[in-house]
Amino acid sequence: MKGLFLFFAVTSSLALAAPSLGQIMEYPFDTNPEWPVELIDILKIDYERNTKASFCIRPIDMVDTVVIHHSETSSTASAKYINELHLARGSADDPWYMIAYSYVINSPYPKGSIPLPLVTEGRPLEIVGAHAGSNVFMPMDDEQRKMWEDKKILCGKENEMPAYDESLVKDGKIKANVTTVGIVVNGNYAPFSKSNPGGYSKRNPRYPTDNTQDMIARLSCQLQKKYPRIKYIKWHSYYHSTSCPGSIKSYIGRIKTLAKGYGCEFN
Amino acid sequence: MRIQLIALLCIFSFSLHASDDKSMKELFAKYDQIMDEHKVELVDEVFTQKFLEHNGGKEEFIAKVKELPKVKKRKGMRSLLQKWKKSKVGRIFFTKVKDSNVKPGKPSHESEFVVIEVDGKLKIDGTLSDSN
Repeated sequence: MKGLFLFFAVTSSLALAAPSLGQIMEYPFDTNPEWPVELIDILKIDYERNTKASFCIRPIDMVDTVVIHHSETSSTASAKYINELHLARGSADDPWYMIAYSYVINSPYPKGSIPLPLVTEGRPLEIVGAHAGSNVFMPMDDEQRKMWEDKKILCGKENEMPAYDESLVKDGKIKANVTTVGIVVNGNYAPFSKSNPGGYSKRNPRYPTDNTQDMIARLSCQLQKKYPRIKYIKWHSYYHSTSCPGSIKSYIGRIKTLAKGYGCEFN
Repeated sequence: MRIQLIALLCIFSFSLHASDDKSMKELFAKYDQIMDEHKVELVDEVFTQKFLEHNGGKEEFIAKVKELPKVKKRKGMRSLLQKWKKSKVGRIFFTKVKDSNVKPGKPSHESEFVVIEVDGKLKIDGTLSDSN
């Protein structure tokens, strides 16, 4: 009986796994994982997608890093709104498939607007994100290199045959988006400037609340408990010059400490 | 007949683009005036009400503008506006901007402004963090 259950569990997980060469690209993949530890509720919503856009799929074991962003939108922006903007941001030459991040954290500012504290799932984890910078390449460890060489990362359009895209790797390094998962905190945590009119005032700096830090820690830890190869928490400006994620960057150390309290270890 | 129709469509779309381009340049000229010269009386013309509300209200926004140093307009000074494109969905425009006032060594901030049409006029509705 136990063996039969195991057989069904294995075959059903295979059916939901990302496609391999020779199998068409289908959405939504395995978007309903069973979490071994649930530290936070994750809301699932349906997104509009641009089926004319290409995207890449990966085994989630390729992912070793969580990357923290801020959206720069208002703190009340919904994941659906960010998806609309990301779809609209694409052009005919460079269409965007869907929201660039895998998770959206809504959390209140210390003062001001008070959105619901909420985590919403964005782009499924099996789909390579579009957040760390498309021209940023990072070294691979042996397991990641093997997955790459075994052609486990494939690109294409919905309902089409995927292909092996050699441009994902350069000089032995792989695009950072392939090995990371993007978590965006709704809101604008960078200072006000001419190019950032939604930023905070010097008189009233904006920092992630304890609740926001805790939500990032819980979500990161929940991901690590399910996918133990995830062992780093980084921030957007770690990968290239950007003001994202603003003041949240200063709290990454504290977020790691909070995650430790939930039984997770991040470097 | 078909060639004439295509030519007419081309002229129509070109004039639409030119009109959008003119409106966009005007919008960002006013934006420059607010940010560089503190002409805060233009705030309602440049930003949507929603944007101002989400940023602590008009008074708070004006106070933030006044914290910025005034910049005298010099001949040949480049506008913040780099390039813009119209979204295929509705009347949303994405305008790429780069802050030329960033000090060397500091992270440069290149973000996209979300511009929408309100009562036939273009207004800034917010920004979107860089990601790709």
